[in-house]
Amino acid sequence: MRDVLTVRNLTKTYPAFKLDGVSFTVAAGSITGFIGRNGAGKTTTLKSLLNLVHPDSGEVCFFGLPWAGNEETIKPRIGFASGGTDWYPRKTVGQLARQTAVFYPAWDEEAYRKYLTLFALDEGKKVRELSEGMRVKFSLLLALSHHAEFLLLDEPTSGLDPVSRDELLTVFRGLADEGVAILFSTHITSDLDKCADAITYIKNGRIVASEQKAAFIDAYGGGTLEEIMLHIEKEASL
Amino acid sequence: MKELLKKEAFFTAPKLTWIFLAFAVMALIPGYPILTGAFYICFGLFQSYQTAREANDILYTAMLPVKKTAVVRAKFAFACLIEGLAFLLSSVLTALRMTLLAHAAPYETNAMMNANVAFLGYMLLAFALFNLFFIGGFFKTAHKIGRPFLTYGIAVLLLVAVAETLHFLPGLTPLNATTFDPLQLVPFAVGAVAFPLLTVCAEKTAEKRFEKLDL
Repeated sequence: MRDVLTVRNLTKTYPAFKLDGVSFTVAAGSITGFIGRNGAGKTTTLKSLLNLVHPDSGEVCFFGLPWAGNEETIKPRIGFASGGTDWYPRKTVGQLARQTAVFYPAWDEEAYRKYLTLFALDEGKKVRELSEGMRVKFSLLLALSHHAEFLLLDEPTSGLDPVSRDELLTVFRGLADEGVAILFSTHITSDLDKCADAITYIKNGRIVASEQKAAFIDAYGGGTLEEIMLHIEKEASL
Repeated sequence: MKELLKKEAFFTAPKLTWIFLAFAVMALIPGYPILTGAFYICFGLFQSYQTAREANDILYTAMLPVKKTAVVRAKFAFACLIEGLAFLLSSVLTALRMTLLAHAAPYETNAMMNANVAFLGYMLLAFALFNLFFIGGFFKTAHKIGRPFLTYGIAVLLLVAVAETLHFLPGLTPLNATTFDPLQLVPFAVGAVAFPLLTVCAEKTAEKRFEKLDL
């Protein structure tokens, strides 16, 4: 399958942390779990992919196009959700959705209504009135309503109840089967046990593994992703 | 850019920013430093940055399918829209003062600045300073608004002081005439050149800074 995201040697240096030569790929129609401990560099990596964090060096290509010079072409084809919606708290869900929609030529009102119902979101509610879990759902609603070919999701299942998480994973699987690539970071590794095709593991700002989930699990002698994660991190502390 | 400008004007900016356009009417007040009207209009724009910061607007806009630098251009474009409307309104009122009201007693005996062509030039300078010091300064961090506004406040205060003083100097009295005098074209020309020049310089610098900012 063709790669829809190629990251090469992404580097970002902070006084106390360095994203060090991050490289990985994401294939079309696949769900890639992006895992690592708190502070390992997951959010910095995801934000660097979209230049929300400005990398010091490295190359990011979406759909074969380098980010630099193609930002306007790439962005409409991507859906990005980082945790819950935390902007315009005094606007209603409907107002913010309508404002967002005008920027996406492929905005699909039918899909918007479908996910609005699925996530049980009330258009008349103000963002500040939504619970943390509902804010995550709203963030996903915006990302899912414009036929994105690639979803970049930073902890999309955190704060969701088990039923909502299960529904969401079914949505993700369905989208991946339609050819949508999904890269999502999470601490809830059981979600990835259920639906991921590939795993990219980041530790202290470096990618330690990026491969198909089955191969990743085999390489660590089997078990769940949580057990493997504990193994990797405990091994480092010995 | 059209959609971004509409978003800035009707979604991000509070109504107060538009209401503060009414301070252009200060051009009609005699015995008052009417150039402060430009400061109040800019204060209305400042309010839009406060509400934008509360709403986490910069990150929201940067995540929309637009170039990151378009966030900067939209902010400058909206400021220019408000400043342009204020200038237009002030120009109409200034024309009224220079014609029908030119010989009204309160204006003929006015010790403070009269609304004339020079005043319009000063107004453009006040707006240019806002774009340079406030908006340009804001995009050093994309969240700090206090220091840039203080810098602008000091700069515009100095401008008001200089503009209110100049016409008391020997030979420069026509700068404050209630009717047109060719000398008034000097500050007008300075404002007309400085406004686009400083605005474009501030915008280009802000775009470069913002591109490298971590949001």
